[in-house]
Amino acid sequence: MSSQLKVNSISDAAGANGNAITLATDGTCTAKITNNLSNRNLIINGACAVAQYASSSTSAGYKTVDRYKAEGSNTGQTATQSQESLSSSDTGPWEKGFRKYYRLALAATGTANVNAWASMQQRVEAQNIACSGWDYTSASSNITLSFWFRASTNQTFYSYIYAYDGTPKAYTFSFTASGNNTWTKVTKTIPGNSGITVDNDNGAGLQISLIAFAGTNYTNNRTLNTWAAHDGNNYAPDMATTWITTGTPTFDLTGVQLEVGDHATEFEMRSYGDELRRCQRYCYIPTYDSSYGPYAFSYHSSYKAAQEFFPVPMRAIPTPTVTATSGSFTTNYTGASHWKGYIEATGTDIRLIASAKFEAEL
Amino acid sequence: MTYTYKLLGNHTDPSLVGKPIEYILRKEDGAWIPKTTANTDYQEYLEWVAAGNTAEAAD
Repeated sequence: MSSQLKVNSISDAAGANGNAITLATDGTCTAKITNNLSNRNLIINGACAVAQYASSSTSAGYKTVDRYKAEGSNTGQTATQSQESLSSSDTGPWEKGFRKYYRLALAATGTANVNAWASMQQRVEAQNIACSGWDYTSASSNITLSFWFRASTNQTFYSYIYAYDGTPKAYTFSFTASGNNTWTKVTKTIPGNSGITVDNDNGAGLQISLIAFAGTNYTNNRTLNTWAAHDGNNYAPDMATTWITTGTPTFDLTGVQLEVGDHATEFEMRSYGDELRRCQRYCYIPTYDSSYGPYAFSYHSSYKAAQEFFPVPMRAIPTPTVTATSGSFTTNYTGASHWKGYIEATGTDIRLIASAKFEAEL
Repeated sequence: MTYTYKLLGNHTDPSLVGKPIEYILRKEDGAWIPKTTANTDYQEYLEWVAAGNTAEAAD
C-alpha cells in the first residue's frame, strides 16, 4: 500500500518564516537545509586552525592566523594579534568543534583617540564572489555571514562589508555579545545592490571587517543595514568607548562563514590539510627542521642557486622573503608556482635556505 | 609598521650580470617585492611613492 502527499510547500507551524520546502510544478523542490552541507563557505580558514606565519605578533597586517589581517593603531597600547586555543570551558564554539580562535588584544587599557583603530578582517578573492551564485546586483539575492565572537567588555560593535570593484560600496551592521567575555554567535543576512561590481579576477572582491574600535576620525553617522558609497571617514556610527577603555581589551573570533542564501547553515568544517592548501594560494611558508631547507647547488665557481616550488599556484606573483644559512640570496625569478635565487659562495662552501616565506595576500 | 624601500640595481651573478633586478627591497623585513601590479605589496609601494616618498638608491 502506498500513499502520496501532494502539497505546494511545507513551512513551520507559525508559517511566519517562509517555506522550509517549496515544491515546483516540474517535480523538483527548493529546500532550506541547515546541516551537513559542504562547499558553501566563501571564507578561508574560518575555524582559524591554520597559522603559518606565527602564533603571535605585535605587527599589523597578515602576521598570525592565515587569511586574517589585523589592524591596530593609535590605541594608546601595543596591539597584539594571535592564534589562541579554545578549551571545554569555551561554551558554544567548543561544542561545535572549534579548537582555535583569532584574537586582537591591547597590552592594557587603551585610549579612545580620535584616530584610534582596532579591527580584524578577511578579504575574499573577487572571482570567488563573482562565481559564487550570489546575484550581488539584486536586492532579493542574499549572502549570509555568521561567526562566533567574544569581547572582554561588551558594547555595540560594527562590521563593515566592503565591495572593492567599480565604485566601491559598503554595508555596515552592528552586533553585540550576550555579555562580557561570553561567546556569542552572530548571523547577518545581507542583500545585493544594483551598485555593486565584482570583477571575475584574482583581486580583492569583498572585505569582511569587524571593528572593535574606531575613533571619531573614522566614524560619524553611517546608516546601518544598507549599501552606500565607501566613506573612509564614516565607517560606522560613532562608537562607545567601553571596550577600549576597560580592563585589558580583547576581541576574539572563530567560526566565520560567508555563504550564498538568506539563512546561515551549520559551519562547514574542513580538514586541516584542506584548509592549509586553500591558505597556501595566498601565503606559503615551508617548515624546515634544524638542518634547514634545500641546498643551493653550485653552477658557477662563485655562485650557487636554489629553488622553491609552491604546493599550489599562488594567487599572484608572491613577495619572497628567503634567508640563507650564511650570506644572502638574490632573487632572480619568482612566478606563481616557484622561486629561484642565487647566492655568492665559492668552492665547497655549503649554503642552504634557512627560512622562506612567499606572500600573495589580498 | 611603516615600511621603507630600496632599489636593487643590477644582478651580479655572471649569467645575469648587468640585467636589472625586477624587485624592490622592503628594508624592514628583507622582502623582495616583484614589480607586478597584482601583488598587493607592490601596490602599497606605489602608494608610498605616490605619497611623496622616495626609495633608497641602489648600491
